[in-house]
Amino acid sequence: MSEQTVTVSSAPAQPAAKPAARETRAPGTFGPRLVTGVAILGAWEFVVRALAPAYVAKPSTVVMAFPHVITDPAFLKATGATLAAVAEGLGIALVFGTIIGLLLGRSVMFERAIRHYVNGFYALPMIVVLPLFSLWFGYSGATRLATIIFAAVFSIILNVSDGARSVPREYMEVARSFRSSRLSTLFGIVLPSSMPYLLAGIRLAAGRALIGAVVAEFFLSVGGVGYYILYNSRSYHHAEAFVGVLLLAAFGVGFEVLVGWTTQRFMPWYRRGDRG
Amino acid sequence: MTSLQTTAASNPGTAAAASGSEPRIRVKGLGKHYGSLEVFRNIDFNVGEREIVAIVGPSGCGKTTLLRCIDGLIPFDSGEVLVGNQRVTEPIAGVAMVFQHFGLFPWKTVSENVAYGLRMAGAPKAEIERRVPEFIKLVGLAGFEQAYPYQMSGGMQQRCGLARALAVGPNVLLMDEPFAAVDAQTREILQFELLRIWEERPTAMIFVTHSIEEAVLLGHRVIVLKGRPSGIHEIIDIDLPHPRTRDTLRKPRFAELRERVWSTLMREAREAEFVLER
Repeated sequence: MSEQTVTVSSAPAQPAAKPAARETRAPGTFGPRLVTGVAILGAWEFVVRALAPAYVAKPSTVVMAFPHVITDPAFLKATGATLAAVAEGLGIALVFGTIIGLLLGRSVMFERAIRHYVNGFYALPMIVVLPLFSLWFGYSGATRLATIIFAAVFSIILNVSDGARSVPREYMEVARSFRSSRLSTLFGIVLPSSMPYLLAGIRLAAGRALIGAVVAEFFLSVGGVGYYILYNSRSYHHAEAFVGVLLLAAFGVGFEVLVGWTTQRFMPWYRRGDRG
Repeated sequence: MTSLQTTAASNPGTAAAASGSEPRIRVKGLGKHYGSLEVFRNIDFNVGEREIVAIVGPSGCGKTTLLRCIDGLIPFDSGEVLVGNQRVTEPIAGVAMVFQHFGLFPWKTVSENVAYGLRMAGAPKAEIERRVPEFIKLVGLAGFEQAYPYQMSGGMQQRCGLARALAVGPNVLLMDEPFAAVDAQTREILQFELLRIWEERPTAMIFVTHSIEEAVLLGHRVIVLKGRPSGIHEIIDIDLPHPRTRDTLRKPRFAELRERVWSTLMREAREAEFVLER
């Protein structure tokens, strides 16, 4: 399973028609990867056992904690809450980010009007807006959602606008020659042509959204995986906290796999490095 | 030079005379600048309702720019273009273009690419579903409906581009060096395919090419563009019988006409080759 995951996530946009490359690469890289992983875990276990108090998490206690944590209703509820908020926030950011990005990329007026604001907000660390958001939306899930959207939307806007600007001129020419309306050119030609950029934007946005969610939960004490980790580490349940951390890492890998699979399944025409 | 221009000026009428009807396209005194660079000036010619006019010229003479002006894709500075009775200021219905770069959308299958023009023209769904397979078959792509452009050879891609243009039922086809990006054998096959399709569905056609052979094989008349800024150097009637087939290539008259265009063009090409950029 882990081998499969690693291979797929490192080459998400490979066309399915190249099994040979996958077979020849996987055995060569898997061994060294395993050795590194075992070495890190071994060192961690050894150092903690030798130097740290008993409550500090080490691989063996994390593994022991795993079964009861992932069957704990409180943990499942926290996971569900965080995931739902991230999904909702990403969805909203995706819709608005795409529309704003397309306009930003194709309209000179729009670009002049908002480019600098977008760049500015993108560079702003999301944690500095949290106090403001918490005043506006309260210590609640709404603030977490707002933080997620804020964290995610600008990377989508910027990537989509780059994509919209680099639509090959040939496509625009064909669209014009066949008397396409502006709206249909924007959504029928510019958007699909920007798809690879949009996907890159979503990847970035997903990571940022997750950070936004966790930071908001830390700051607001809103129930979720972030709060679960914070609460358990403060109450000396380090192993339990670590299961939460591992879960967050798994989100990241899982999302990469999902994006890669979606690309192969629904965009067979898109092959990396093959665009004119 | 003056005598040649007289030929050019006296020639536009013969198009209508040859096809025995009103010209479909009228290009009058067309001129175009890019900033201080004058691309062409004073272009005058007509294209009959069922006539193929081939335009040849040395590279960089502005033939593609001329075709884009006629399609309404880019503005021109003087003169006018009439298709039927309609003045061209932007792309108009009934005119379809086939591009050198094929211009297929990589995220669309053959079917979807062929349907594109119809969809943009607002054709009803039933009509699209009826016409798309018909034109895919006409250009010989039956069985490849669900293929994506990246899976196809250049020749197949241009067949698809041709089907997309034909599907909208144009009465004017503008061909911008359509076979320049495919290999020599495929190019020859496609030339005869185009002739076969044109015999089946004749339209007014302007065919821009830098291949003399192609121009003589396809054109009822061949327009030779000249110089900087370019103008019409000569219009040569190609009196080869129709339908034209591979046999046409072996006719002495074909060789004669090809030599005629060649000698006209080569004088120009040599001048063009040895011009220093200012």
